[in-house]
Amino acid sequence: MSKTTCASRFVPLLLLILGAFQWALAGEKLNIYTVNYPLAYFAERIGGDLATVSFPAPPDVDPAFWMPDAETIAAYQGADLVLLNGADYAKWTAKVSLPRSRLVDTSRGFKDQYIQQPSMTTHSHGPSGQHSHGGTAFTTWLDLDQAAQQAEAIAQAMTRKRPDAKAQIERNLAALKGDLLGLDARISEITHRAPGRPLLASHPVYQYLARRYGLNLTSVMWEPDEVPSESQWTELEGMLKDHPARWMIWEGQPAAKTIERLRALGVETAVFDPCANRPSTGDFLSVMNANAESLDRAFGQEFGGTQGARVVRAPTRSSSGASEP
Amino acid sequence: MIDSLYVAWRYLTYNWGRSLTLVACVTLIAVLPLALELLLGESQRQLLDRAETTPLVVGAKGSSLDLAMNSLYFGDTVPEPIPMATVARVADTGLAEPIPLYVRFKARGFPIVGTNLDYFEFRGLKIAQGRTLSMLGECVLGAGVAQALGLEPGDSLFSSPETLFDLAGVFPLKMHVAGVLAPTHGADDLAVFVDLATAWVIQGLMHGHEDVTRVTDPTLVMGRSDGNVTATAKLMQYNEITPENIGSFHDHGDPAEYPITAVIALPRDTKSGAILRGRYVGADPDTKGDAQTQQILVPGQVIEGLLANIFRIKNVLDAVILVVGTATVLALILVFALSLRLRQREIRTIFKLGCSRSTVARLLGAEIGIILAAAATLTGLLLAVVAHFDEPLVRALFIR
Amino acid sequence: MIEVRDVQFAYRGGSFRLAIPALRVPGGERLAVIGPSGSGKTTLLNLIAGILTPAQGRVEVAGSEVSALADAQRRDFRIRTIGFVFQDFELLDYLDVLDNILHPYRISALRLDRTVRERARALAERLGVGDKLKRRADDLSQGEKQRVAICRALLPGPRLILADEATGNLDPHNKGLILDLLFDSVDTHGATLLAVTHDHELLPRFDRVIDFADFQPDSRPDAKGGAAA
Repeated sequence: MSKTTCASRFVPLLLLILGAFQWALAGEKLNIYTVNYPLAYFAERIGGDLATVSFPAPPDVDPAFWMPDAETIAAYQGADLVLLNGADYAKWTAKVSLPRSRLVDTSRGFKDQYIQQPSMTTHSHGPSGQHSHGGTAFTTWLDLDQAAQQAEAIAQAMTRKRPDAKAQIERNLAALKGDLLGLDARISEITHRAPGRPLLASHPVYQYLARRYGLNLTSVMWEPDEVPSESQWTELEGMLKDHPARWMIWEGQPAAKTIERLRALGVETAVFDPCANRPSTGDFLSVMNANAESLDRAFGQEFGGTQGARVVRAPTRSSSGASEP
Repeated sequence: MIDSLYVAWRYLTYNWGRSLTLVACVTLIAVLPLALELLLGESQRQLLDRAETTPLVVGAKGSSLDLAMNSLYFGDTVPEPIPMATVARVADTGLAEPIPLYVRFKARGFPIVGTNLDYFEFRGLKIAQGRTLSMLGECVLGAGVAQALGLEPGDSLFSSPETLFDLAGVFPLKMHVAGVLAPTHGADDLAVFVDLATAWVIQGLMHGHEDVTRVTDPTLVMGRSDGNVTATAKLMQYNEITPENIGSFHDHGDPAEYPITAVIALPRDTKSGAILRGRYVGADPDTKGDAQTQQILVPGQVIEGLLANIFRIKNVLDAVILVVGTATVLALILVFALSLRLRQREIRTIFKLGCSRSTVARLLGAEIGIILAAAATLTGLLLAVVAHFDEPLVRALFIR
Repeated sequence: MIEVRDVQFAYRGGSFRLAIPALRVPGGERLAVIGPSGSGKTTLLNLIAGILTPAQGRVEVAGSEVSALADAQRRDFRIRTIGFVFQDFELLDYLDVLDNILHPYRISALRLDRTVRERARALAERLGVGDKLKRRADDLSQGEKQRVAICRALLPGPRLILADEATGNLDPHNKGLILDLLFDSVDTHGATLLAVTHDHELLPRFDRVIDFADFQPDSRPDAKGGAAA
């Protein structure tokens, strides 16, 4: 048998075997668990049909302070990848046993840029005993450039698990990064219309947003569904003397009475949802777009003006490569 | 032949003291070297198997044997700790997957092994009862521990204080048994596995207590200053972690600096392992980093060196046993010869009765044969017992 | 039964000499041999039994020239034809009475079967030790031991009994009893008895008495030279 004949017979067979192997691998979806919704969204966008993404926190809890039960922990333990936010987010992860080899700290790449919060009340033991620090700010994804870096970390982890799907993962990542960075540019453009404009925040969860987009932001510790006490109003009035903000951004829609009283103080209300948990409608990008519109109003430009274009979700590509609107 | 055996048997049972002594002597000469061979063979198997399946271990500079024995067999000698940050640094090299170990504390005499879930996967450990580690404060028992202490999932186990006099140091933590492992016939059977964080709780690096910022008892608060509340020593720290108080557990330091005793490094391939080793060997003295204070070892090589020493000692022991055995055999021959002399009259009598010399030889040979057969049977039984219990014997005698 | 002619014997390296010109013992006779110590009485028994062989001369027992047989043939002849009774009984302490009686069958080519065991029990019964079969030999009295020794000697059905001072270690009462038993057994089996004895009071009960001094003039106490038996 000549070499040519040999090759012509065995190469197709080899290709068939390799294809079958890849098909067998491809049939196995990556089982991915995350500690918050933004990471779940990124994983879904990047993984597409390669992955099953789970974020099992109940919709009405703040994932940062959620404690899963034993059954849910077991589900995390069985995942192929567990995507952590980093920056001390989800303290429950430090109190349960997770397989380190499958954990991905998505913000490790910029851990030297974490923001420490000095304003929390700490405790210590004895006059020279152990001290606790203020804690690390953890809403890293509100800096959309950082969000893009977290998405990259997710893509790298997925590629390590599924090197055969590298091209598809990279394509999906590029599309997601396009959306995130587009939104990043949009918010930058909005906030740079009035640099240094004083703003108020209902809760200290916007540190990375403030840093990234140059917001002159001061926070109180109010909850949207609670009417502030008189002492809290007094505190706010005191703050307004040195920090004459005209807008206050909230994690959720505040009570009507609160809005009314704020307005009486000359402070308008805007919602900037950190979107840590899955929204009842829409997705991460639609929520962030709505957040951009809130900022748009706060920075004095009405929606629909010629200077800012609404960021819509970039066309996604399915695993087959066809475009979808 | 049967008659000879019968007569020999009656003689031996009549002189049972002498017979038993002879049987015991012959048995000892046979059992000692064979039992030693069995036990050393088993110890070699246990030591080498485990060592050869562990590619690399990183730990503090010092005795490589202590490091290997502590990380592989959870030996009593605790090496100097290294910081937890070593794990991240090994991972960052991209050359190996790190598995941390913190083997320092004990619970009712059994070593507590602080690690993570990757260890169970690495060692192929399966859960036989209950489930694996889930929450802080839980433990998973080796099969031997569960059996020895009569514990099963749902039970509790206290960690042991390191010293009676260090009342402010390591104090007992009530751990909840989450599961029991299937037997492995190795060191893992006799260990209590906890999450690394639980080991740090035992050490006091992490703790839980009431929210100091909200206590009303003034004797619990030493002072309040800008943004900080200083608690007094009266503030009780929880010695048990429950779903109700787990949220209060926290640390006051940097976990990257928390101690571990070793890192098992699983290189991605041979080349990666060699590169990783190279980073720890022959490092520039002026270079800062782990290589200055840490070492990396190949457990198989360390244990092979140990075994080579053991077998050198064994050769000496064999020589000693040979000499002693020869002396014993000569003594036995002397005893037999003297016994024959004492029985000259009996031999003359049976000779007169018509017994041939060959029959006399057969009678005496039957006596020797019965003694040897009894000694062989006893030897076989003792060796069977040693073989049956070789694993625990080796662990108790050689591997500590 | 026994014919000894021109027998000369000497122990190697010793000065003792035994010379028996002629000795004839007819079958069924009860013969006593007396003589001073060292005169060679036991040597004579050993020559007749084929334990020793003469330097010259002829020893014939039951028609076989024992002195001319090979070692193995002499042993075989001895165990089938001759029964020994010793002064010190020579029982084995580690065997019980029955095993002592059966011992010749265990150390020779004689076949030990149920018939033999039954004969042994009957013999023991007849000699008055039938109720002591399971007792050890060292648990017995002197008289009982000698009875057991006689049973052992008689069991193979020997044609010749050689008793070497068989009553020497017995008290006067037992001496007579044992001799009665010997004579009775010899008569019952039709055997010939040749007994070496120092008990002169028993001599009248024998058919014939030989004084060994007649064969060994040198063995007389006043003779020159030593003697060894």
